[in-house]
Amino acid sequence: MVTPPDRSSQTRVPIWRNVVVIKWATQIGILVGLLWLGYVVITQATSNLRATGIPFSWDFLGEPLGVKLGEGFNTDPESGLEALAVGMVNMLRVTWSGVIAATILGTVIGISRLSSNWIVSRIANAYIEFFRNIPLLVQILFWQALIVGLLPDLTPEMEGPRWLFASPKGIAMPWLTPLAGRWQYTVVLILGVVAARWVYRRRIALQEREGHDTHAFAWSIATFAVFLVGGWFAHPAAGVLGWLFTALAWVAAVVPVIGLQLVLAALAVVLAALYIVRYLRRLRSPAGMAKLSDDDYFRLAVAALVGVGVMLFFVSGAGQATLSSVLGRTLWYQMNWGFEPLFDFLASRFDFAGGAPLRFTLPEVVVPTRFPQYSHEVGKALTPGFMAVWMGVTLYTAAFIAEIVRAGIMAVPRGQGEAAAAVGLRRGQVLRLVVLPQAFRIILPPLGSQYLNLAKNTSLGIAVAYADIVQVGQTIFNQEGQALAVFIFWMGFYSLVSLILSGIVNYYNRKMALVER
Amino acid sequence: MTTNGSQAIICEDVKKWFGDFQALSGVSTSIGWGEVVVVIGPSGSGKSTFIRCINRLEAHQAGRIVVDGMELTNDLRNIDAIRREVGMVFQQFNLFPHLTVMQNITLAPIWARNRTRSSSEAAAMKLLERVGIPEQAHKYPGQLSGGQQQRVAIARALAMNPKIMLFDEPTSALDPEMIKEVLDVMKELAESGMTMIVVTHEMGFAREVADRVLFFDYGMVVEEGTPEHFFHNPQHDRTKLFLSQIL
Repeated sequence: MVTPPDRSSQTRVPIWRNVVVIKWATQIGILVGLLWLGYVVITQATSNLRATGIPFSWDFLGEPLGVKLGEGFNTDPESGLEALAVGMVNMLRVTWSGVIAATILGTVIGISRLSSNWIVSRIANAYIEFFRNIPLLVQILFWQALIVGLLPDLTPEMEGPRWLFASPKGIAMPWLTPLAGRWQYTVVLILGVVAARWVYRRRIALQEREGHDTHAFAWSIATFAVFLVGGWFAHPAAGVLGWLFTALAWVAAVVPVIGLQLVLAALAVVLAALYIVRYLRRLRSPAGMAKLSDDDYFRLAVAALVGVGVMLFFVSGAGQATLSSVLGRTLWYQMNWGFEPLFDFLASRFDFAGGAPLRFTLPEVVVPTRFPQYSHEVGKALTPGFMAVWMGVTLYTAAFIAEIVRAGIMAVPRGQGEAAAAVGLRRGQVLRLVVLPQAFRIILPPLGSQYLNLAKNTSLGIAVAYADIVQVGQTIFNQEGQALAVFIFWMGFYSLVSLILSGIVNYYNRKMALVER
Repeated sequence: MTTNGSQAIICEDVKKWFGDFQALSGVSTSIGWGEVVVVIGPSGSGKSTFIRCINRLEAHQAGRIVVDGMELTNDLRNIDAIRREVGMVFQQFNLFPHLTVMQNITLAPIWARNRTRSSSEAAAMKLLERVGIPEQAHKYPGQLSGGQQQRVAIARALAMNPKIMLFDEPTSALDPEMIKEVLDVMKELAESGMTMIVVTHEMGFAREVADRVLFFDYGMVVEEGTPEHFFHNPQHDRTKLFLSQIL
């Protein structure tokens, strides 16, 4: 007969040996330490800056800059913020086109690397080893040198349109040049995507009900095509949005600053409450509510505290003072966080005027003075800076993506391909229907980090004077001396882009996860 | 079902090497329509390699293999045509984990036979009823037990209406209590007149269902005959040794 041990002795545990107490103390200690560290850094930086005689300010965002930019949607920006906006758009242009091109190229090379064709796999291997082992900066400088140094210059005799130009002034190619109607047309196309999705779901539902093939995919494509073609003529109808934006601009102009404070405060509370509710819901099962552990309590307490803290910050005078000082007093009141000019801008773009949204154009060389150059109106001229950065990041990242794709395919068990071949699927079908969908799950997380690398590596464009956000920012802090403000802007922007990218990747990652028991 | 040729499968002196290891050293046999052949042998004797050569998952390097009147050559069209007529069930099931049971079964009929989705789904439901798990149609393979997965794999192979079925140790990766449910499905299939080659260690199945037993060793057919002959009156010393160790 074994007597169970006396449990009452366990209730009397000294504090320094109590696991629960230790866990809470550590977590709270780390939190307090972090807050304290942040406080020290900020106060120290503020006082140091004051001592240099250049007080920290965001005023340059609203002031004229007096600098011309190399390229972008507006090469002669009126304010610091506009210049930075041009830089941001330029950075995003390289990033999205680079991500797409690197993905396609990387996938092709990764699959080629696995090819049973010896020459194809050797070439793919050589590509990977070559581009992966040379620093990206060297590659970007090389492309720049190649374009500027080796291509023949434009001559006055070349005046007129052609299919393709390549010169030290860049590459010019045919393009769908956007015209005034493009804003309305874009809205119609977005509606088309939504409608196509809706039709697809309806047809699938019908198929499941009636049990015969309803050609759901063909139907959704046809729906989109209706919008694509019909929208070409009907797009001025989207001009009604102009009224909406005018109204929003008016609201943004009359709503006082306190309105925004209240919105942010409410948002903080709502987000914290949502987090808590969702967390609790996850712990609930049909069998009843799971018992909350110490970690659960800690999470909930921190979420609630942060929510309430942020709310108090925004409604207090400190919040208003910080907001207006962070944004610069003039900017704060003039721009009202930029919502008013944004809505004004959008309102001006949406009217009921007709006109084609796009036009196919050939590039053209014009000779306004003695020096021939590409026309801005027709075709698409890619500057040497853009080409160098784009080729650099694309070819470099493609080498890494190729290795990721290869690893992903090799990680799919051999039996999968064999089983697919054994049921009679052809080679392309085996790859497309069975191997790649499974490889994709393995590929996705490392692929996401390559996208982040690509986005961040575009900052090397500064070496070839590509007018991205880094180059524009540097121009600004050379001019205004607000180095810290520009750095904060950079960090904020790159973090935002990276977070959005990884958010998208994580979303797909969750969606694609295999269903296990 | 229209069959071509007097025999389902004809093998003449089939040889296969992996590097300098000879896996098949001259296999000659032929399998008639409707015949159930069980292949037995120690591990490494080439029995798996043999049936994997029949649908070209491995390429034989010498000799001739004729399946359903078509010779297996390097002609991709012949290989595809033979694979459409020959179903295969693997030791590790090899179900597609990213597709539901229903999608696993209908994938090949839709893509390789150009059937409509609705007709293949109706056919798939019938097959799932035949193997006894119609209620699992919309689950994923990861949610099924091993025995259920192997039955889905059999249904997947049958969905192409194959004339010949190959089983590569279909019960070796199963828990003992799940082996029976898979063997029952295979017995039912054999009774329906399917031409089958089964590599297995299930001697009970061989005794009960097989029309003929092939005993493999060193990449060759050492002994063949009816189960009667094989289990009660083996001629070869190697066969006797093997049987004495397992029975």
